[in-house]
Amino acid sequence: MDIFANLAHGFAVALSPINLLMCLIGALVGTLVGVLPGIGTIATVAMLLPITFGLPPVGALIMLAGIYYGAQYGGSTTSILVNIPGEATSVVTAIDGHQMAKQGRAGPALAIAAIGSFFAGCVATVLIAVLGAPLTKLALAFGPAEYFSLMVLGLIFAVVLAKGSVLKAIAMIVLGLLMSMVGSDIETGASRMAFNIPELADGLGFATVAMGVFGFAEIIRNLDAGAEMNRDLVQQKITGLMPTRKDLRDSAPAILRGTVLGSILGILPGGGAVIASFAAYTLEKKIAKNPSRFGRGAIEGVAAPESANNAAAQTSFIPLLTLGIPPNAVMALMVGAMTIHGIVPGPQVMQKQPDLVWGMIASMWIGNLMLIIINLPLVGIWVRLLRVPYRLMFPSIVIFCAIGIYSVNNAPVDVILAGVFGLVGYWLIKHDFEPAPLLLGMVLGPLMEENLRRALLISRGDWSVFLTRPLSAVLLAIAASLLILTVLPALRAKRDEVFTESEN
Amino acid sequence: MADTMGHSATATRNTSVALGFCLLAIAPQIFEFIWSIGTIFGWGAGRGPATVLISHATALVAGAPAVLIGSVGGETKKASSDVLLALIYSYPILAVAIVSLFMAIRSAQDYVGGVILMALALFALWASSDLQGMRGFSFGAGTAPRMFGGLLVALSAGIALTGLLTDGPAMAHYSWRGPLFVMASIVFFALAIRPLGLVVSAFVSFMIAAMGSHETRWLEAAIVGACLTLGCALLFPYVLGLPMPMFPRFLIQ
Repeated sequence: MDIFANLAHGFAVALSPINLLMCLIGALVGTLVGVLPGIGTIATVAMLLPITFGLPPVGALIMLAGIYYGAQYGGSTTSILVNIPGEATSVVTAIDGHQMAKQGRAGPALAIAAIGSFFAGCVATVLIAVLGAPLTKLALAFGPAEYFSLMVLGLIFAVVLAKGSVLKAIAMIVLGLLMSMVGSDIETGASRMAFNIPELADGLGFATVAMGVFGFAEIIRNLDAGAEMNRDLVQQKITGLMPTRKDLRDSAPAILRGTVLGSILGILPGGGAVIASFAAYTLEKKIAKNPSRFGRGAIEGVAAPESANNAAAQTSFIPLLTLGIPPNAVMALMVGAMTIHGIVPGPQVMQKQPDLVWGMIASMWIGNLMLIIINLPLVGIWVRLLRVPYRLMFPSIVIFCAIGIYSVNNAPVDVILAGVFGLVGYWLIKHDFEPAPLLLGMVLGPLMEENLRRALLISRGDWSVFLTRPLSAVLLAIAASLLILTVLPALRAKRDEVFTESEN
Repeated sequence: MADTMGHSATATRNTSVALGFCLLAIAPQIFEFIWSIGTIFGWGAGRGPATVLISHATALVAGAPAVLIGSVGGETKKASSDVLLALIYSYPILAVAIVSLFMAIRSAQDYVGGVILMALALFALWASSDLQGMRGFSFGAGTAPRMFGGLLVALSAGIALTGLLTDGPAMAHYSWRGPLFVMASIVFFALAIRPLGLVVSAFVSFMIAAMGSHETRWLEAAIVGACLTLGCALLFPYVLGLPMPMFPRFLIQ
């Protein structure tokens, strides 16, 4: 019954006018970002971090959360109508969604995507509320050794779920860990790898690196490809928004499966919305009686990935709120937002800041409701926005990012650093290195080092502590077996299959 | 792609890769030299260009071998940071450069990527070489960076090896226009925001960034740039309350 009391409290918080407004703004900005290709969720959240300075912490986090799940909604709209996935999470939706649109069934496709997302959002909200308290209790049984092992597991998950070479993904994580060590050492205060540059004494700002690697690098890469993208807009007016009864019957099990799969993948560290949508699509194709329908406008191919990415976007808040460990890069930025407001994420947040946690959870449900109400009528406007040519959009994004970074610390050096990391990100893309594990490594770096040191200090330098403590041993064993499984050829082929889905 | 490329083409490619790595091997030294030129005009602190040039040259040519011989002889004299840079960073990369002259590179994308990553890791190892190591069983400031630095060296060597042993994509094509103008725009913004204020720097940066695409139409870009500048000038300082200079300093005074 605790849950209901908590949720009721959450709704009381979330329904206050200011928080409702924040939720609406977040959902709208998220949809906008989701619609526009060439600007991702990570860059947007990084860009808006400084804006949240002036807001109360609850409102700020509600808005940032809204951006994340709103983007999942928006991405589907353009995938279906224009065959341009605005977000990586909607890449697979484009396969069948756009086919449906070409067959004149854009309305039902959009509606099913929205209904699926809403259903998944509701389930995920309940899941967060239910799982929150027990996981928090579990977290209290965690010592430094367990925390370290858990983070190792999370990073290994990130490797397994990243696409491309396993070796490269691990290397990216380690590079991220190294980058997190720039600046003063937490324990001794010694300046590490800062070369006497005063701006580096505090370490590399996470928002700065994220903006460079995800914002600027993406822009430079898009310019490379040629700004003129093929935009075959579906010109006819969208009529008949309501799906038929058959559509509903076909998509209901797909939505359910997508929600379950997405929820699980969202909780797992290193997962997140992108992998969830890919996996859900693959699953649908595998279990379908007639797989050849996929790619030709199968409604399940829209329903499952859209539910999965929304479910995953929300359940990825669970590890953050209960264990204080961000499972993906967007959540890592949320840590940044929380720290700005003096909140240390972790098990104690649930007890000390019930307003924040439950308010945010309740706001997710409200936000999902808002999205389904707002978005379907606004589809026309979003599509019109897509006609803004990229040659005008990219300088605007550059300026916005630059002002955003500058205003974090009022430091011009940060802007230049972000630019440098933009070039680094461009280089990474060119050599097929994934930037997402790098960012995750950078976020988990300080936490990992701290817990590693503490664990070894408690055990008086005995490294076997990670294996003799049962919980920690189990976590490490899972991590090791996962890594071995990934390198095995059979599973590797499967994993590659999941990611090549979008190319055919 | 590999079969269309003739033998001589691969050979010249290898030489250029090796030359590139040689340059990479002394990149920090070159960077410090260029940086030190500024001290002539009184910008920044640090060693003068002449000292930088001489100390790095001696470290590269004579200092490091001397330490190597010395360590064989059982001498434990503390090496200077320049010598350490040569030892930890430059020599291994130079060795890789020589090796790549004689190797058939089957995937340039992996090989070059791996080596550059290795250079980064070695550089990090050098940068953390002056930090304290283990004290008893407690970590010093330098323990973790060295641990992860070493791990990254091993991993990147693995990536480079995959580039030698398995077939894969060649180097991707880099374009210069996008990166150049976007970077120029960012740097201009960073340098101009304090003295010139938001209005001027945002508009000029917008126009510089717009040069990054060959499709840009000037009138259109100028109009959008002006609107964006106006929007930012209202949004950031007034709506969001973030303190920011608006107009050039010399106009206000």
